[in-house]
Amino acid sequence: MRVVLAEDLYLLREGLVRLLEAHDFSVVAAVETGPDLLDALLAHRPDVAVVDVRLPPTNTDEGLQAALTARRQVPGLPVLVLSQHVEQLYARELLADGTGGIGYLLKDRVFNADQFVDAVHRVAGGGTAMDPEVIAKLMQQPVRNVPLARLTPREREVLELMAEGRSNAAIGQRLFLSESAVGKHTASIFGKLDLAPSDDDNRRVLAVLAYLNGAA
Amino acid sequence: MFRSYALAPLRCVALALLAVFGFAASLPLMMAIGAVVTYPHVLQVVRRLAGLSRWLARAWGGIVIDPPYREGPVPLPPRRPDGWYEHDGQLFKTRHYPAFFLRMQWLSGDPATARDWMWLLLLGPIGGLVALLAPGLVVAGVLLAAGVTGPGRRALDDAGLTELVAWPFLAVPGWAVLAAGVAAVVTGVLAGPALLRAHGRWARYWLGHPGLTWWQSSGIGAWLRRGGHDTWKAALLLGLSLTGFAMFLLTLLLTLVSGGFGIAWVSYAIRPMLNHYRRLCVTWGGGEPMPDPYRQREGVPEPGPDGRYRVGRTLYATRDGARRAGFFPWILGDPATWRDLAWMATAPLVALLAVVPGVLIGAGYFGLFWQALFWPLWAVPFGLITGVWISPWYVWQLTTLGMPALDVLPGWVSIPIGLALGLLGVLLAGPVLRLIAGWARLLLAPSRSARLTQRVEHLAQTRAEAVDAQSAELRRIERDLHDGAQARLVAVGLSLGTVEQLMDRDPAAARVLLAQARETSAAALAELRDLVRGIHPPVLAERGLADAVRALALDAALPVEVRAELTGQPPAPVATAAYFAVAEALTNATRHAQASRVGVDIRHTGGLLRVTVTDDGRGGAAPSHGGGLHGLRRRLATFDGTLALHSPQGGPTVLTLEIPCALSSPRTSTS
Repeated sequence: MRVVLAEDLYLLREGLVRLLEAHDFSVVAAVETGPDLLDALLAHRPDVAVVDVRLPPTNTDEGLQAALTARRQVPGLPVLVLSQHVEQLYARELLADGTGGIGYLLKDRVFNADQFVDAVHRVAGGGTAMDPEVIAKLMQQPVRNVPLARLTPREREVLELMAEGRSNAAIGQRLFLSESAVGKHTASIFGKLDLAPSDDDNRRVLAVLAYLNGAA
Repeated sequence: MFRSYALAPLRCVALALLAVFGFAASLPLMMAIGAVVTYPHVLQVVRRLAGLSRWLARAWGGIVIDPPYREGPVPLPPRRPDGWYEHDGQLFKTRHYPAFFLRMQWLSGDPATARDWMWLLLLGPIGGLVALLAPGLVVAGVLLAAGVTGPGRRALDDAGLTELVAWPFLAVPGWAVLAAGVAAVVTGVLAGPALLRAHGRWARYWLGHPGLTWWQSSGIGAWLRRGGHDTWKAALLLGLSLTGFAMFLLTLLLTLVSGGFGIAWVSYAIRPMLNHYRRLCVTWGGGEPMPDPYRQREGVPEPGPDGRYRVGRTLYATRDGARRAGFFPWILGDPATWRDLAWMATAPLVALLAVVPGVLIGAGYFGLFWQALFWPLWAVPFGLITGVWISPWYVWQLTTLGMPALDVLPGWVSIPIGLALGLLGVLLAGPVLRLIAGWARLLLAPSRSARLTQRVEHLAQTRAEAVDAQSAELRRIERDLHDGAQARLVAVGLSLGTVEQLMDRDPAAARVLLAQARETSAAALAELRDLVRGIHPPVLAERGLADAVRALALDAALPVEVRAELTGQPPAPVATAAYFAVAEALTNATRHAQASRVGVDIRHTGGLLRVTVTDDGRGGAAPSHGGGLHGLRRRLATFDGTLALHSPQGGPTVLTLEIPCALSSPRTSTS
């Protein structure tokens, strides 16, 4: 699987390259600035990009902007964004086009190599991987959206894990439910959120999007 | 039906009597308002009168008038945590006084109060005349009829009232006079109910809920009202100026008795009044604000090697003595003191102009209404007894007495004269007020050097505070790093060292330690993240103020609507201060105000970054000393920024901060 990596700190960049190559990814480009990232993304069309939000030369959100620009030109280009801090604002902007293939994680998450690699695979496959901290912030807020208010507490739990990007099997494992029971819950969530039956992955993204929008 | 027509003239008489009573009462009532203590009672009396009039309008005229007064409980002063009551920066032991002031403000702030007064002043001239029409017609008709009938004639003769109806110029036959008299009586009776209704409608105009009439929409009413208010304001400034002049005379006297000391005492004592005067001049006369121009008092100097304190060329043995002695050079060395004295000596000359619009408006009102209304009370008996009938119009008689040449002009010219005088007064009120305020500005506004001195004092103070705050902040960061991330990294290092040893001997234990080390490093990262957020939020560095506030809004526990109109980025320290101010305001809105929504508005106009945070909570917020808002205010003062909190009881709370700054082009590095 071909990966483009953007990270301006040398140590972290080398560490990530080593981690990814140890898990059978091939890093086709490891860049350190925003413009380089955009060029690399458009030139290599990788299977997945791992991108730091803050990149030179301006040290603002160049990485995020380059990723969003690339996704406008290559719709659905899978991007996993890493950052020292997570903001709902960025999560929303990343998910806004509703095409999936989005990950947004704290840099701390690379400590757990298995979970991190799992997240990269999910994003590459068109799914989502939201940092639990983003979800936790959402959960602290009262529900102000009518369709979301219709969800049962159990369905909210399922949606929360779905927003983190977990599969039905993983959700079932976490909540001690059978996979078929989780499937019933997800179907019920899609129904209550008025999501028409289509590609299941895409519906999962849209549900997460509704979740993000509904809480604000 | 028949009853209502028969009663109407009598009811009109009652209304006219009420009008005369109200009009006569208005003068003592206005005087009683001056004595502050009676103020609420006076308003109570006026409201009772108005209530009576509303009731009569409904009972007799069928006109329903809803009382327009402000609803709800009278506000009570908030009780502070220390048990005192606060009102307007003053503390009170009991609720009694602040509650009284609040009640007074609440009553006088009600727009219906001013309308009640207008009603009372116009009740005699207009309401009374309307009411008098019906009984007047009836009485005139009866008199006319009586004059041509035998028994009536004899009755009039007996009463000595023949003169009243024996008008020689009425060279018409008796039956015509009789017919005219009967017609007048009939008209008076028939018109009675209609006049009662008209009177009721007129009362509704003043005593009901105000609607927009042509009078208001054409701007004439507003113009007259403004002129009237300006007259009052100029009169008040005159009063204060005269007080100032009296203090100037006192200063002269004290100077003769005690030398320069008197000047210092008096001019120090009068400063609060002058500051009040400055504020009034700015509020009423417009223009730039006039800050108080006085120098700050210097602290007592440190004692010298011999333990004594030096003030000027004198040495004092005690600290207290030095402090007292410092008072005189402080006051007398301040140029503002001498400018104050110059104003106190000259102000009455300028302020005397304030009399002009007042006198003109008074004379106009007198000519148009007062004279005409009270004429029957004194001129009718006077005419009946002496046979000399004085014109109801104006003091025209007096004028023609002095200048017989004017006698050829008819009496009614007093109407246009009164109108012209009144309008001239209204016209002059504004300019006179501005002239008085302008003179005050010339002498009372801080001079250029006073402004520079104040600026230096302000800068020195804010710089000291900024340095203090900065070092406190650095200490906090150092402590957080030392106790948090640094300690955790040491622990990680220790764990890794042990793992190195255990790797071969006990791989299972080594794995447990490795997992621990990972958790510890994650915790250290989380702590660092929180620390960074408190110093300079990363989203602010990456996105600038508007998006950082949006991110803040998304994390808030209640709906926050953010509107931002920024063409560039404010300087980083300004943006950081504004960001933390919004964060504080959102926290307060969530935690204390019980708000359900918050609006944040960010804009940059005229070299000023203005951020407004509005919530729909219960209000009543006050920045406590040492509280979050107080810290923000000090932080903003470093940039000459201001923070204003407006939070009446019951809400809404509006927090406005303004920081002068220029915007840089968008999206440049701030980290």
